[in-house]
Amino acid sequence: MSDQLPNPVASSTAPRAIVADVGLLLEGTYPYVSGGVSSWVHQIINGFPELTFAICFLGSRKQDYGAKKFQLPANVVHLEEHYLNESSGAPPIAPQRGNADMFELNAELHDYFRAPAALARRGAAVLEQMTNELQGRMDRSQLLYTEASWNYITEQYQQRCTDPSFVDYFWTVRTMHTPIWVLSSIVEAFPPVRCYHSVSTGYAGFLGALLKRRHGKSLILSEHGIYTKERRIDLYAARWIADNRTLLQRDPTQSGYFRTMWIRFFEALGRMCYDASDQIIALYEANRLRQVQDGARAERTSNIANGIDVVKFGALRALRPETIPPIMCLIGRVVPIKDIKTYIRATRVMASRQPDVQAWIAGPEEESPDYAAECHALVKSLGLENNVRFLGFQKLTDLLPQIGLVVLSSISEALPLVILEGYAAGVPTVTTDVGSCRQLVYGLDDEDQLLGASGAVVGIADPQALAEAALHFLTDATAWHAAAQAGITRVERYYTHPVMFGRYQTVYDRALKGPSLAADFSDFQPSRAPPAVCPVQTASPNSPPQPGLDLDLDLVI
Amino acid sequence: MAGIGFELRKILARDSYFALIRAYAYAGLISSGPWVLSILGLVAIGLLSVNLLVPTRQITQFQVSVTYLIMGSLILTGVLQLSFTRWVSDQLFGGKNETIVPNFAGVLLVTNAVAGTLALVLVFGSFSGESVIYRALMVAGFVIMCDIWIATIFMSGLKFYKTIVLLFGGGYGVSVLLAALLRSEGLEGLLAGYVTGQFLMLVGMIFIILRSFPANQLIAFDCFKKGAMYPSLMAVGLLFNFALWADKIVFWTALETGQQVIGPLHASVIYDMPVFLAYIGIIPGMAVFLVRFETDFVEWYDKFYNAVRAGGSLEEIARMRDEMVFAIHRGLFDIIKMQTLSVLLLVVFAPTLFAKLDISALYLPLFYVDAVAASLQVALLAVMNVFFYLDKRREVLVTVALLSVLNVALSVVSLRLGAVYYGYGFALAMLITLVFSLRVLERKLGRLEYETFMLQ
Repeated sequence: MSDQLPNPVASSTAPRAIVADVGLLLEGTYPYVSGGVSSWVHQIINGFPELTFAICFLGSRKQDYGAKKFQLPANVVHLEEHYLNESSGAPPIAPQRGNADMFELNAELHDYFRAPAALARRGAAVLEQMTNELQGRMDRSQLLYTEASWNYITEQYQQRCTDPSFVDYFWTVRTMHTPIWVLSSIVEAFPPVRCYHSVSTGYAGFLGALLKRRHGKSLILSEHGIYTKERRIDLYAARWIADNRTLLQRDPTQSGYFRTMWIRFFEALGRMCYDASDQIIALYEANRLRQVQDGARAERTSNIANGIDVVKFGALRALRPETIPPIMCLIGRVVPIKDIKTYIRATRVMASRQPDVQAWIAGPEEESPDYAAECHALVKSLGLENNVRFLGFQKLTDLLPQIGLVVLSSISEALPLVILEGYAAGVPTVTTDVGSCRQLVYGLDDEDQLLGASGAVVGIADPQALAEAALHFLTDATAWHAAAQAGITRVERYYTHPVMFGRYQTVYDRALKGPSLAADFSDFQPSRAPPAVCPVQTASPNSPPQPGLDLDLDLVI
Repeated sequence: MAGIGFELRKILARDSYFALIRAYAYAGLISSGPWVLSILGLVAIGLLSVNLLVPTRQITQFQVSVTYLIMGSLILTGVLQLSFTRWVSDQLFGGKNETIVPNFAGVLLVTNAVAGTLALVLVFGSFSGESVIYRALMVAGFVIMCDIWIATIFMSGLKFYKTIVLLFGGGYGVSVLLAALLRSEGLEGLLAGYVTGQFLMLVGMIFIILRSFPANQLIAFDCFKKGAMYPSLMAVGLLFNFALWADKIVFWTALETGQQVIGPLHASVIYDMPVFLAYIGIIPGMAVFLVRFETDFVEWYDKFYNAVRAGGSLEEIARMRDEMVFAIHRGLFDIIKMQTLSVLLLVVFAPTLFAKLDISALYLPLFYVDAVAASLQVALLAVMNVFFYLDKRREVLVTVALLSVLNVALSVVSLRLGAVYYGYGFALAMLITLVFSLRVLERKLGRLEYETFMLQ
């Protein structure tokens, strides 16, 4: 969010590239959606001006996105967009029997998805075969029109589906699988690059796995959140998923069958991506452990925390007023995951004790207009019109010197940059106990913890605790100054651009040498000649883990 | 014939033996009314003129002329009969009622232009020996009858079944009356009377149609736009009407059986009379067809698609499918039982009847074969009806194409084999087509869920 300034060198049109160094696979983010991940991507691209990038953007439907939110830097040499949920592009309807052997493999593959550990070896081979045939004997019409497909779907429905509605089951299966063929067609047309970098698992990560298998280039996976976990949250809240159980059939502790199906689908996509990735990077330790738990091989995982521009934000400290302004600010999009409502309720608690307290909300409201409207209504009904201000999108360099506290009430976060940016600008934080927040506030290893708390962490959806903690810092100058100082030291030591770029330099260096680790899914010998433009430097199959992977001093517990 | 089921169910709901008979009688009247009245009308005009001033030859000329008018207009308008009806019901379904009447006018205009041109060319090209009045009446009659078929199928599409039967009754009544009054003028008089009656019938139909629907413009040609009407339905309509007349055409034109009657028109004394009379014998079968398929079958058909759309379980969908299959099964068996009875009755009473009507007993064997063939035709109609409900247009097209080819080929063969085999060509063509269509139907029903979900 801090770096969305127009780049004077950037050209407005991205020319079609033949070769780039890095193929960035971005799902529902940069350059069409603003937010933490998008800002990070922009930062990385700008941070490696000597590398060229080709971007593949994956979206749901074209109409869901507006104009680009970022001006592409000059080293983005290619941008292509693909939309996974558009109905066009289905092959013409033609009745056919279907390839029986492919559907036998398909059944095996799904058994493997259900029990990946038990069938790992065979499963990988089957997956390899299936993905090879996605534009051949297992093309999209096999799913859509064949009797074999029909038989498999009805069989599975009878064996497994606990929701009575067959028509919903049928369309769930179709809708779920259709993007696979869209992705597989991207694989053939994507311009040659020297390595792939996906910024999530999910569809983009699966595309990375396919690309790696097809072209034999190294695949990097950087996860900011944990995609499957976020999907799970989305899916539990989604109203478009049918649940046809009657009142008597419904067990509130069990989610509907279609939700479960979707979740398992994304879990399977995630596992395929982990299997194929040569380097798997988490933002912080909790996520790395989660990745390992979800199937990532521990030896391929590492942590690289986000860095910020401490010089730019450090300069803001000179602009701060003498006294602590009684102003707290939530910096983030107005969306349910940020739980703005808890923040507003906390403000109510605070305003009762200190009526002049100001609670600002700095972030765009367009992503979830309904939720934003509910938040405005809540402010009104709590009588906080004089305390809460919706600022819309703000430049942090203007905002940070004016406020006394950065507050996050999110129910989910990864490694929120705004906390670090606040630290650099001398602003402590009160945040919910999500993602890396605890380590950002209290420190991770012993040395880090010795720096002291740079704010406070409270439970999620607890307005009372949030209010108490925020009031504590806004009213107790000694506590505030101690926290501010701890924040400054912490961010300057562990979370700077140079630290982050240094780590990613190592990651890209390794990736550009070619795939070094053998992955299940990519366990292939490059019998298919790689594109002549950039020859693969094949590492010896027994090459030891390269340095740089486990050297994340600050974040590895 | 959707919609008739509702009225039938209403009658059947009274749940008495009398209600059942009434339902069947009603169904028989609705389904067979128009063509029974046509045949009766022709026979009546003939009978009224016999032994009077009109020579028998002229009566025959009149009857053959009208038969050709009926056949030619049916085959020509066959192109539009199903396709336009389908277009109309799609419009009604889409709530676009105001487009219907202007397009009906458009279809009539196109029909008049095509039928008129065709008739002018034919009549003035090949009836050079006949009077101008006769030729003018033939052109007028052809155009009017084409319009009548269009109006009839249009009205059945709108569920005006009773009105159709009443209009046919009235129209043929006037035709018979006027023909009788004008019979002193010979062939021209009979034809003038007949055509005038038909014209009044058409006027009545158009009056009722215009009165029933709002229209915001006089005429429109939306239904002729590309993609508006299904080409497969056009072909089905054309081929089906042709197929039903194919054996007659073969026998008319053959040297052994056909005689020149008037101008280029041939007829077959041996072949025609038994065939037309045999059709009277399928009234009971048609009634059963209508009752069984428009009530039982349609009920399960609706339940099946409701289960599909409204999220029924696969087992439920399959059960509805099974019930639908059972309804078809029972309907076909009821038709066969009823027609067996009907044919047996004909066999018993035909000799007496033929003697009374002064028709040679030599016609009897052919008459029996034709009665069986016509019965098979009812069953085939029922199967085609199911195909239409399931929207299997391609299957119907294949079926009627097969019937056309077989009816021509087997009729030629039966002609070669000699008089004993006359009629067997027609009957065998019906039988083979029916068996074929049942096989296709069985296969289609077996994969109904697959096709419903995967191929639509």
